Order: sequence, then structure tokens, then C-alpha cells
Amino acid sequence: MSNQTDKDNFEPKIVAFLCHWCSYKAADLAGTARLAYPTNVRTIRTMCSGAVDPVYIIKALLDGADGVLVGGCVLGDCHYQSGNYKARRKMNILHSQLRALGLDEDRVWLRWISASDGVLFREIMFEMVEALKAKGPNPMKHPWDIWKTVKGGWKPKTINSPRGE
Amino acid sequence: METENNKLATWRIDMKVYSILKSQNGDIFETVKAFFARLFEEGIIDYLLVPQRISNGKTLTQTLIKGVDNLEGVNPFSPVMAINSAKLVAQVGSVNKDKKVGVVIRACEIRALIELVKLGQANLDNLVIIGIDCAGTFEIEQWAKLVEESGDPVAKETEVLKDIYAGKTDYQEEDAPIRLRSSCQICNYFTHDKADITLSILGMEDDVLVTLEQELAEKLGLETADEPMSHKDVLEDMKNSRTYKRESTFDEFRDKMQSMNDMADILATCTRCYACQTACPICYCRVCFFRTETFSPESDRLLRWADKEGSLRMPTEILLYHLTRLNHIAASCIGCGMCESYCARGIPLSTLFQAVGDEVQKKLEYVPGRSVDEELPVATFKREE
Repeated sequence: MSNQTDKDNFEPKIVAFLCHWCSYKAADLAGTARLAYPTNVRTIRTMCSGAVDPVYIIKALLDGADGVLVGGCVLGDCHYQSGNYKARRKMNILHSQLRALGLDEDRVWLRWISASDGVLFREIMFEMVEALKAKGPNPMKHPWDIWKTVKGGWKPKTINSPRGE
Repeated sequence: METENNKLATWRIDMKVYSILKSQNGDIFETVKAFFARLFEEGIIDYLLVPQRISNGKTLTQTLIKGVDNLEGVNPFSPVMAINSAKLVAQVGSVNKDKKVGVVIRACEIRALIELVKLGQANLDNLVIIGIDCAGTFEIEQWAKLVEESGDPVAKETEVLKDIYAGKTDYQEEDAPIRLRSSCQICNYFTHDKADITLSILGMEDDVLVTLEQELAEKLGLETADEPMSHKDVLEDMKNSRTYKRESTFDEFRDKMQSMNDMADILATCTRCYACQTACPICYCRVCFFRTETFSPESDRLLRWADKEGSLRMPTEILLYHLTRLNHIAASCIGCGMCESYCARGIPLSTLFQAVGDEVQKKLEYVPGRSVDEELPVATFKREE
């Protein structure tokens, strides 16, 4: 899809949904502790990782985010008792769904980052940027624009529906 | 929600007994009519929700019947499914147990109903669930055309039903005069063991097999019998062939889905008319996010997006709509295929939803609509998983 030089210059855009009680605080802590981390991330504060409906993640991917991070509290530490367990289930469903549709599930990350772990937040950011750079730009952007985005490389396939006619 | 009464009767299938209703002159419709009349007379039910012929047998629709006098033209084994009746049953279901309503529904409808109970959107306290072993249904408009052309709708209906329930033909071949709905072709969950009473004509020639609780059989004065071998055989054959077709359809689907372009291609003709959502029995939100102001933006916003993106598909967010619906429904998708039947554009939504649903459900080890005792996957969790 993209050649080597493109990949070298490519800066992935990451949308991060961070839990107010932990991951967001960790990002804050990384800042106050002057731990420099990649500027590719756009953070969105949510009250709980369990409150991140997959619709927002899918929307981010369709609109051109190269990766999405959902940051929640370490299991057992949820401010609302069980929000992060539910987030884990939602992410599980989303990953299965993306895999079944032949889409790249590895662009959606779920990580547990506690409020005191600015260092971990920084590490995850570096790790994610590196992984996304290796993948290149997100091909899910503007998928209806097939004529423009993929010239000749893609052929429509019929999915058989035994509906008759 | 947690009350004991709100649960479907959880008699295990081996605690139920079989009884065979013999037909006079091979007329199964008269036989089931007589059976429903018995249910009314014994006070087992006060009302009955059952498919009934309308427009001279051109089609069938669910009808809420009061009393024995209005049973003319009922056919529990309706070859068409105008709507997934779980939604209708949720309307007649009530906590008031004074009036018993018998509801004649298929396995996919019972499963959808169970999912609705888990969502707190249906109540079973006053219901007697009469399940049927279902060999499949046809697209409603194709069925109407077929029976109208035949000249004698009821005769045609009887002929097709006898063929299909005897396991003679499965109406799946390319050259068949009419083909089963695509979701019925790949359905291997066509009988549900949680119904209070089950009616079956699978492999029964002209008779009707009833499965019910011993006590109820005695009350109705029915003689118990063994399960006929022919019934077992047809059931088994149908299950095997449909499971095979199901797996191969999903494999084929997964082979074809390689990128978002393939997804966009399937949905190319969609105009976000919400028909699939209206048809879906388990699309559970009372007000859909996609029908709010967020998705009918003002001119300024649209123009701004167009500025930024260069081009904007209108109506907007068609892919987001389907991907989100997939995400919300996948774990609970019971594969009734109503989305596809309702789709005016013929988008293979049923295959799409079931193939994704299959993957998700296997991962979660969840079978939607199996029992009210199980919790919705997203409403619960395990510490270790």
C-alpha cells in the first residue's frame, strides 16, 4: 500500500479514550513528571473504560485514526467496581467482529494503566506508535471512495445471498 | 426481572411426553384447529396468537384470537414469517396472570423472546409458549406470487408444507419454484426445547406430534406415545444438512471479507432507511442513537466536513451505522434473517450478521436465546477470562 519512504515519514494518529480515574491521570502524571512521549496521541477523557461504546472506536477508525487506545484501570481497581471487566468484554466483541470482517483488529488496543503509572503510559505510547508505523496508514478511511482510493487493485466480490431473483 | 414466574418453564425435554394427533382425511390444519380448541375449552389459554390466512390465503399473519369461534384458517406451520413475532409476544406478555395467552412461535422467535426477557423488555408470566418445529419460511412477496399463480392458495400451501416437512425437498436448489429465505437455509436451531408445548409435523406424514408436560397431556386427555422414528430421522437429517450449509456459507463469507472495501461494497446500495433495524427483534435501544440529531447534522457541519474530507458520502455514516449495529447485536443475533427480508435493496445482511455473530458467540461461549437463566454477555463478566 505504501512504500518504504512513506512508512518512514508516516506519523500515525492515535485516538486514546482514557479513564478519568486512572489512565488519564497516568497521562497527566507523565506530563508533570516531564516524561516525554510521542505527540501522535489525541486523548479523550471518559469517566470509565466501560463507558466507551465501540461506536466511538469504529467512528475514529472510519474517519482515519490509525489506532485507537482504550485505557482503563487495572483489573479489580475499577472505580465503579466492574467497568473495566465490561470494557474487556466489549473489546473482545469488537476484536472478534473486526476479525470476522477481515479488518485489522490490532489497531484497537486495550490497556490497563493505573493512575500512578506515568512511566507505563509513556511506554505504551512508544510501543503503539512503533507498531502502527510498521502497519502504515489505516486503510479503513473513506471506504466508500473505492474508485478513488484503490485504482485497479480491488475487485468487487459478490457475497451470495440465496434470496432468489 | 428476577421473579421465578418470569422464567420459561424449564421442564427438561425428557420430562415431557409425546402424543400423536391423528388427522382425519390427512387434513393437519383441522387437527391443529381441534387441538387449539381443546386448549381453549380446558382453560389452558384464553387468547391465542397464531398465524392465520388472510386475503384468500395469499399470505398469513399473526392474529390474536379470542375463543374457539375464530380459529378458521389458522396454520401454526405458516410458510411465511411476516415479522419476528418476539416483538408481538413482548406486547401481549404481561405480569397479569389472569388472562393466559397462547403464542404460536418458531424457534428463532422463542430465542429472540428469551433475549428480550434478558433485556427486561418482555414478560412471560401470562404466556403459554407453543413452539413449532420449523422447516423454514419463504420470502413473503415470493410466496404471495407463487400461491396466486397456482390458483388455489390453500392447496398450494398444503402441498409445499407437506413436501418440506416430509424432508422430500428442502427448497434450496437454484431451480426450485421458490426458495427458502437465506437465513432459513442455514438454520440449524429450528426446534426449541424450552417451549411449553411443541407442535411438529416433521416426518409425521398427516399426523401432528405434540410434545408437552405429562400433567397437561392428562388434562387434555391425550394418549402418550413414543417419538416416531421418521420424525427423529427427518429432524436429524435436516440438522446435519443445514449445519453443513451454515458452516460452508460462513467459510465462504470469511474468505471474501478481506478489507473495509469489501464491507463497503456489500453496503454500497444502502441508504440507511432503518428497515433492518425496525425488523430486528433484538435491536434493543428504545431510541436509536442513529436516529437522533447527531446523525442529521445541520448544513454548516456537513459543509465543514466536506471541506475537510474532500468528499462525503450522503446520507452520512452508513458504514458506521452497520458496523455499530453489528457490534451491538452480534452476541445476541439469533439469525432470524428479518433484516435481510426487510431490506429493499437485497443486501445480504443475514449472512453478514450471522457470520460475525457466529465468531463472536463462539468466542464468548454464548448461545443466544437458549435459556433465560443465562445472562447477556455484555451485562456480566468473569474475573478470569
